[in-house]
Amino acid sequence: MSAVLEVAVSTVHGRRRWPITLAIAAKEWLDLYRDARWRWLGALMLLLMICALTFGAEQVQRYDRDRTAATESDRKIWTSQGAKDPHAAAHFGQYAFKPQTPLALADPGVDAYVGSAVWLEAHKQNEAQFRPARDTTLVARLGNLSLAFVLQTVIPLVAILLGYAAFAGEREQGTLRQLLSLGVHPTDLLLGKGLALAGAIAVLLTPVLIATLIACIMLTDTAESTLSDQLIRLFGLAAGYTAYIAGFAMLALAVSAFSRNSRAALVGLLAFWLANCFLVPRLMTDAVRTALPLPTALEFRQTIAEEKKKTFGHDETHPAFVVFRDDVLRQYGVERIEDLPVNFRGLALRKDDENGYRIFDQQYGALQEAYERQNRWRAMPGPVFPLLAIQPWSMGMAGTDGRAQYSFTTAAEQHRRVIQTFASDDLIRNGRYRDPTYVADPALWQHIPSFAYREPPVSWVLPVQMGNLLALAGWLAITTLLAVYAVRRMRPI
Amino acid sequence: MTRYTIFSAAVRCEWRNLRRDPALWLVLAIILSTVGYALHNGRSVVQHQNAAIAATKAEEQERLANLRLNLADIDAGRIAPPERPFRDPRLPIFVGGGSGATGASLPPHPLALIATGQSDLYPASIKITSGGKDSFLFSDEIANPTQLLTGSFDLAFVLVFIYPLWMLALIYNLISAEREQGTLALTGSCPVSLRTVFAGKLLVRAGVLILVTVVAVYAGLAMTGAGFAGNGNAYAALGLVIIVYGFFWVALATAVNTLGRDSAYNAMTLVIVWIMLLLILPALINAWSQSRYPSPSRAEMVLSVRAASNDANLEQDAALALYEQEHGHSHERGSLRERTLRRISVTQAAAARADSILAAHDAQIAKQHDFARRFAYASPALLMYDAMAEIAGTGRSRYAEFFSQIDQFHQEWREFFVSRAKTERMLTDEDYRQFPHFQFEERLNGQTFSLIGPTLTGIAVLFLLFAGIASRGLRRCSVVGRG
Repeated sequence: MSAVLEVAVSTVHGRRRWPITLAIAAKEWLDLYRDARWRWLGALMLLLMICALTFGAEQVQRYDRDRTAATESDRKIWTSQGAKDPHAAAHFGQYAFKPQTPLALADPGVDAYVGSAVWLEAHKQNEAQFRPARDTTLVARLGNLSLAFVLQTVIPLVAILLGYAAFAGEREQGTLRQLLSLGVHPTDLLLGKGLALAGAIAVLLTPVLIATLIACIMLTDTAESTLSDQLIRLFGLAAGYTAYIAGFAMLALAVSAFSRNSRAALVGLLAFWLANCFLVPRLMTDAVRTALPLPTALEFRQTIAEEKKKTFGHDETHPAFVVFRDDVLRQYGVERIEDLPVNFRGLALRKDDENGYRIFDQQYGALQEAYERQNRWRAMPGPVFPLLAIQPWSMGMAGTDGRAQYSFTTAAEQHRRVIQTFASDDLIRNGRYRDPTYVADPALWQHIPSFAYREPPVSWVLPVQMGNLLALAGWLAITTLLAVYAVRRMRPI
Repeated sequence: MTRYTIFSAAVRCEWRNLRRDPALWLVLAIILSTVGYALHNGRSVVQHQNAAIAATKAEEQERLANLRLNLADIDAGRIAPPERPFRDPRLPIFVGGGSGATGASLPPHPLALIATGQSDLYPASIKITSGGKDSFLFSDEIANPTQLLTGSFDLAFVLVFIYPLWMLALIYNLISAEREQGTLALTGSCPVSLRTVFAGKLLVRAGVLILVTVVAVYAGLAMTGAGFAGNGNAYAALGLVIIVYGFFWVALATAVNTLGRDSAYNAMTLVIVWIMLLLILPALINAWSQSRYPSPSRAEMVLSVRAASNDANLEQDAALALYEQEHGHSHERGSLRERTLRRISVTQAAAARADSILAAHDAQIAKQHDFARRFAYASPALLMYDAMAEIAGTGRSRYAEFFSQIDQFHQEWREFFVSRAKTERMLTDEDYRQFPHFQFEERLNGQTFSLIGPTLTGIAVLFLLFAGIASRGLRRCSVVGRG
């Protein structure tokens, strides 16, 4: 820690040192600028990121068009049902289609692996259907072009390639000894080289950030979220990726200072990159899948069915039904159902729905908790293998993680309950005892609203994601300390 | 000296050098541990799938046994028929449409543990009903989406991603190291062909790696108890793709070596090529095929089916109103017969609409897949990944076969119940015994080679291309290099 403090002190008080640091940075920049390979690599990276953004924006727009059309059609179908028993209409139900967040253009997250539509029908909370991944090719499992993919896997590699020879290369050329003999403090050298590296990466990323900002402003629909919320999310993304990539730059400098030669530095850094981007995420995924198993779909549905059996459903011989009926009769002070001033079938349906809500909240809540427990464990090694922290942070900020999906399905379920309540209330008020011919006026369907979803604010995301943000900060701190430690112990030859 | 003597001398010399190199032993340790772990992991995934299939079968048996008991009680007059028709075990349309639905599962192939492929996206068992296909085809298994996004550590991942890396680690400096040590000039001054010498060196370096990988995979499969009987073809195909894919990377690394640059340059170039072939190219091909032939909107399908059932309902209501008008008396609404016929007509109208839309969607998706597959020939990694999934029976061919068999079975199932419902026949215990059962027929067994033929040829062509470049380069190889 003292080393970091010293760097900080030297930058605050030791104004004399700034020219040295800047001179080092300027020299490094000049080297990069003169080397045609870096110009090519930079141009290629920029092109790749612009491709990824364009593709992302195109996907978001197409998805939005499809969804708007679907929502309108669903409304039309719902309102044109004609005269119908309200409970039959509740069975027919509505569909809730998930809107895509504007920042999905940068990180589509798990959107391909979760359903995008929920059927809101009577008695049942359905799972979201239609995972887009099922329609794509096997190729899609190898790599999905997105800005997040480029920033998480390719840009760290660029940082490594830019930094691995920083000290080891100078040592091989014999210039490190010259530099140090001039009295340049090793931390100044680190600062200068770090500045050069940061500058080179910033040159690549700033245009991309501006492009994302513009696309995000254009794609934000104020009916679904606020622009300020999206801007905070984008800022969060930028901060997370800055820590992630800066950490890689620091690590490259540290390893370069530690290593005997630049080849050893490159091999070590590449091995770490491979472990971080490919090996550890898969290993952790398999580990949590085995250690914290999820129920199978069959088990999950069976548990719900078992719980539902304890309630009466449509079964009028169920003991719980008898208790409920007697309670209602007592409440209204009558002896027989036919003497009730309201429709008993409607009351029974409403009661049954309420019983179901409790079960669904409990079971779906437990399943979501199981997912989140797995995700928390998976993210544990985040400070050392930062992909495990940046991936959930990025998806969380973009609103494309599993929790955002849960927020959507929960909202859809709330809307289902609105439909159920409307239908049951209509039956309670207007239905007559044991009259199966009662049909509600078609105007009722107009009164029941369509599903509207607003993305939860960033304040809903932050508390859960704090661990990942801290992990990223930890990653940057660890690598910075490592770099400072390494340059101070650096041997000139 | 004959060419053979030079070759065998090169082989012996290289082997003596290599076995003293700690890098070799490190690489071999990595091969054994990653292959072993991947197979162990694959086995646990397959065991999980098998358990899930067994559980759905047990659940179905119990459900049907209860229905039959219930039926016997009703027939014997011990209990009254349930008031709600969907609880009645005698009504074909309700039994076939829900309470008696049967599971159709794709049993994991004996080699399924080598590649997860698409198996994590589909449920272990699909519940077939007499309703429209859209009502059951899209059911999902519970899975943490983050895990689906990451993918699992299976043998396909090890062979596609890591296997080339250990190949590159031992071959990146095949020629450049000799040049840097000054031994290349020495060899070049001898009356021997450089090509023969390097062929010997390559045989040792690449041969050891490929051989150990193949042996590790076979030994691992034998230890995990993956069935061999009847799968000789799949086993042979697996060995062959590992060898050909390995050859491709060897040829590529050798070709880069013949550029005459230093070891650092070679390493950097090969890593960049690895990234291009494994990360960037697949992502670009995927993005391009998706934006050229976007996946169809499933929402559109759902809504058309709903519109169809709505229309059919309204038509029935209109017909009913006309009937009442003409006959002057109120038709009894909601009689069992009327409800059943209405249900059949509504579901059939909706199912017909769903089937036509599903077919149109499948055609659109097929276009996207064809497009992606054509471009996959640019990256041997994609071909290898596809071949592994095909061998494991978790790739597109076996799933396509599964869904086509489901399609046929669904028609049979629907016919069984709808024909009985239309003639108002009540189900008997004999009917229950005759319920159709889905059994996946392994029609693709023994056809592994024809399935992976094109992909294998694709990798082989790329290998030959780079082998040609390497061979030409070796002939012109400069002993002092280009710095």
